[in-house]
Amino acid sequence: MQPGVGFTPFDDPAYQFEPWWPGVRALAWVDGGRLIRLRAQGLADALTTFGELTDELPERLMDDGVVLDGWLLTLDEGGWLDVDLLRRRLAGGLHAGRPAFVASDLLWCGGQPWARRPFAARRARLEAVLLDGDRCVVSHALRGEGTLLAEALARFGLEALSARRLDARYRSGAAGDAWLRIPIKPAPIVERPRLSLIQRLPFDENGD
Amino acid sequence: MARSMWRGAIQFGLVTIPVKLYLATETGGIGFNLLHASCLNRIQMKVYCPHHDEVIPRSETVRGYEWSKGKYVVVSEEDIDSVPLKTMRAIEIEMFVNVDRDNAGTQFVKAAYYLEPEQIGAKAFYLLKSVLAEQGKSAICKIVLKDREQLASLNPYSNSMLLTTLHWPDEVRSMEELNLPEDQIEIKPSEKKMAEQLVASMTGDFSADEYHDDYRQALMAVIERKVAGEKPEPAQRTEATNITNLMAALEASVAAARSDRRAAKDETKAEEPTKIAAPRQRRRKTA
Repeated sequence: MQPGVGFTPFDDPAYQFEPWWPGVRALAWVDGGRLIRLRAQGLADALTTFGELTDELPERLMDDGVVLDGWLLTLDEGGWLDVDLLRRRLAGGLHAGRPAFVASDLLWCGGQPWARRPFAARRARLEAVLLDGDRCVVSHALRGEGTLLAEALARFGLEALSARRLDARYRSGAAGDAWLRIPIKPAPIVERPRLSLIQRLPFDENGD
Repeated sequence: MARSMWRGAIQFGLVTIPVKLYLATETGGIGFNLLHASCLNRIQMKVYCPHHDEVIPRSETVRGYEWSKGKYVVVSEEDIDSVPLKTMRAIEIEMFVNVDRDNAGTQFVKAAYYLEPEQIGAKAFYLLKSVLAEQGKSAICKIVLKDREQLASLNPYSNSMLLTTLHWPDEVRSMEELNLPEDQIEIKPSEKKMAEQLVASMTGDFSADEYHDDYRQALMAVIERKVAGEKPEPAQRTEATNITNLMAALEASVAAARSDRRAAKDETKAEEPTKIAAPRQRRRKTA
């Protein structure tokens, strides 16, 4: 599923909003109590690069035959999101930062396909089967209140919002209005008068 | 106790007191060995000559003194042995000084050594000690240790004496470049009184036993856990900074935005909306 483009945060009870996490989108397959595939967008299998998740993700799942849609993130020492550490890890730096998986959607559960069910049902099931752990969580989300979440995220320093329509099923390819990526204006900074001190210096063509 | 590291005699005037020297301190750090990360074998430091581009044995090295930029004169063992030194096997007392914190130079200490008198010199040893202790004096002396003549001070200590090697004056750096405006500072009597009270309230007997190297103890605990085969997981830190905490912080941020909104709604009923907007934003930034 590829997100459509939103323009500005809105409030709509038909949508559920969550942060557009600054990480790599990934699908995680858990079967037979093991994390068997971790397909990161635009990359080969990230299973070895995010080895810390192979134990934790199956442990936290209360069901088997599960495919999760979510984000691979990397946290720095202070527990903050760090995109540079993520890049280093994806480039093969095994110990760069602390990895985390934030789940947003559920495609398969109990060996059954869930993609045709509405997002509201998939999300409810996801919250029921994935218990929050040190490295794996279900993404925090708000129903209906897009502008409120946008305000909170702007303070948080995040740049976009994800909006999923509650009655939409999981589609392959473009999602249309079923899933939108909505940019957030950064928190307003008090305008300061700027001094124009940049002056063009005379350039002497003959001199050195 | 460990082996003595030096044997010789204290000399002053016509008196000679044979003594042994023991290192009084040891460095408290935890020693590590460097290993190759992939095979965990000790690595070796090879002596490398960039001119010949080869690793050479240590026996092929000589000591050189750089007398001008890039120009060396070779100093051999014989050269070093030929240096005439009176203080070869002696602690030669040059003078006695009053024990006083203004005795410039005696504060720049290098290392401390315990003295142990040889049986034959025990009486003279304790005679010297008692005179130094009663008169509040310290002996300034010279001694050759590790091929180098060292300046040292000799002081009574417990039931022995302590030899403290000192830096030579030319090894002590100048304070000229520091910004030390002592004479420009004015201190009011009331300020001085307050400082005196503070010092008095914190005055006590210094007992070194009460102080510990906490870092060393904590590091040793980590090493012991590893030796015992446990996972060296810094448990407290991961708890404080994992993804669930980030999620909790996000929830708190949403709650804050929600309460701000509610407050803004209440205020807009009473006041003009544009006037409230500006200070609100600023408060949010600092929060």
